[in-house]
Amino acid sequence: MTLEIRNVTKAFGGFQALDGVRLSVPLDSLFGLIGPNGAGKSTLFSVISGFLSADQGEITLGGRRIDGLSAPARARAGMVRTFQVPREFSHLTVRENLMAAAPAQTGEGLFGLFFRPGTVRREEAAIAARVEETIALLKLTRVADQPSGKLSGGQKKLLELGRALMVEPRLILLDEPFAGVNPVLIGEIMERIAELNGRGIGFLVIEHDLEALTRLVSRMAVMDRGRVLAEGEPAAVLDEPQVREAYLGGLS
Amino acid sequence: MFYAQLLVNGLVQGLVIGLAALSITLVFGIARFPNAATGDAMTLGGYSALAAFKATGSMALGGVAAFLATAVVSLLAYLAVFRQLANRSVVSLLVASIGVAFFIRAVLGVTFGHAQQVFMAPLSRPYVLGGVRITPLDLQLAAVAAIALAAVFGLLYFTPIGRQMRAVADNRDLARVSGVRPGRVMVALWLLAGGVAGVGGMMLGVKTIVSPESGWEMLLPAFTAAILGGIGSPGGAVLAGLLLGVAQEASTPFVGFTYKIALAFVIMLAVLLVRPRGLFGRVEGAR
Repeated sequence: MTLEIRNVTKAFGGFQALDGVRLSVPLDSLFGLIGPNGAGKSTLFSVISGFLSADQGEITLGGRRIDGLSAPARARAGMVRTFQVPREFSHLTVRENLMAAAPAQTGEGLFGLFFRPGTVRREEAAIAARVEETIALLKLTRVADQPSGKLSGGQKKLLELGRALMVEPRLILLDEPFAGVNPVLIGEIMERIAELNGRGIGFLVIEHDLEALTRLVSRMAVMDRGRVLAEGEPAAVLDEPQVREAYLGGLS
Repeated sequence: MFYAQLLVNGLVQGLVIGLAALSITLVFGIARFPNAATGDAMTLGGYSALAAFKATGSMALGGVAAFLATAVVSLLAYLAVFRQLANRSVVSLLVASIGVAFFIRAVLGVTFGHAQQVFMAPLSRPYVLGGVRITPLDLQLAAVAAIALAAVFGLLYFTPIGRQMRAVADNRDLARVSGVRPGRVMVALWLLAGGVAGVGGMMLGVKTIVSPESGWEMLLPAFTAAILGGIGSPGGAVLAGLLLGVAQEASTPFVGFTYKIALAFVIMLAVLLVRPRGLFGRVEGAR
C-alpha cells in the first residue's frame, strides 16, 4: 500500500512550483522530504492534501485515485496534513480541537442530531474516549481545557499531531514538525512519531533539521525546483553529488 | 424607579436586537459576509408569527412558526444564492444579500399588503414589582427569546455540529483539511441564523407593528450590536444587543423618541473608532 504521486505539476502564474513530481511513499513508512526553500515541498503537501489542485498528474492512496476528491474527503480517506506554522482552532479548547476533527459523526448533521440522539450519544462517548487517549499520549493533559490559542509553539505542534490522529489516518503529512520547537520537545515529538509508526501509521515528513530527520526516517526524497532529485536511504541520498550541490552546498 | 422601568423596557427591546445581532454574527463568523437580508428575514418572522397567532391565539406557536418559516427561507436563500457565490468577494455576497432582502420584502408586500398590521394581544394587568411594571406579554416574549437563545447556544456548544460550526468559524481551511464537511455546517448555520432572526422579528412585531419595512429598520442597531459584541462572537452579540436596547431606552428622556435610533449609529461609530474588535471580540479579518 502506497501513496503514489505521478507526474504532478502545479504552476503559480509563470512560476513552476511542481514540475512533474514522482514519488512513491509506503503507507506504513517513516519517509522524509527535504530540499532547499522554494523547492516545492509545502506546495506538494498542499496538492496531496487537496488544499490546492494539481494542474496535471495523478495521486493515488492505497490504489484509489484521490486527486479528484475534496480536502475533507481526502482527510476522511485516511490522509491528513499538518502545517509549517501550526494551525489550531484557537478559540476552541485543546479537547474541542481534537473532538472537532473526529470524522463520521452522526451528530454533524441536524437530522442525525435530532432523530438519532442515541447514536449521537454513543459516538460522542467513543470520540471522547479517543480524545482522552490522544491527550494522554501527547501529554497534553494539563492544558486540555485551555483555549488552544494560548499553547506554546511546541504544544501546538503536538496538538496538530493529535488532530491528525483523530482522523484515524493511514498517513500523516508533517510539515516541519521540529521548527521552532525546543530540543527536549523535539525528542518527545520524535518518540511519539516512532510509537505511532509502530502502530502502523505512516509519516511523510518535511524537515530542515537534517540531523533529527535522518535519525527518524528510514527513507527520504530530495526536492529541488519542483522536481524529485533523488530518493533512497538517508545516508545514500545525502551522498549523491547533485543533492550535495543543490541542497547541502548552500549550507556548508 | 423611572429608570428601572426604562431598564426593563430596554431589556425586551435588547432581546430583539440581540437575536438579530446573533443571526448576523453567526453568518459573518461562518459564511464570512455581512448579511443585509437579516432585517427582512425578521419581517418574514413577524408575518409568520402573526399568521400563526391569528390562527391559534398562541404566542408560543407564533414563535415556533416564526422560527421554522424564517429558517426554511434562509436555507433556501443559501441554496439558491449564497452557495453559488461562496467563493466570491465579501462585497458580492453583501450585494447579493441586499437583493435577497428586497426579494423577501417584495414578496411579503404582495402577499400581505403594505398596510401596517398589529398583534391583537389581549390586554392584561401588568405585574408590579417594586413599582416596575412588567406585562405578562413581555414575560412571554422574553421566554420565547430565552428558549431560542438556549437552543442556539446549546447546539453551538454541546453538539458535534455546533463544535464543527465553531471550528469552521475559527479556521475554515484547517476545518477542511481536518475532514469537516462544509456543506452540513452551512445548512445548520442558515437554519439557525434564519430561525433566531425570525424569533427576533416576531418580538419586534409584537412590540411595535408588522409591515414590510419593519425589519429593514432593525439592521442598523443589529449590526451595531454585532460589532459591539465583537463580530463572530455569539455571546457578545446577545450581550451587546441587551446593552444597546437598554442604552436606547435610557437615552429617550434626553434625546427623545425620534432620535433613539441615531444612538445606535453613534455607538457603532464610537466602537469602530475606539475598539474595532468590539467589547468581547477577537481579532478577525475579512477579505
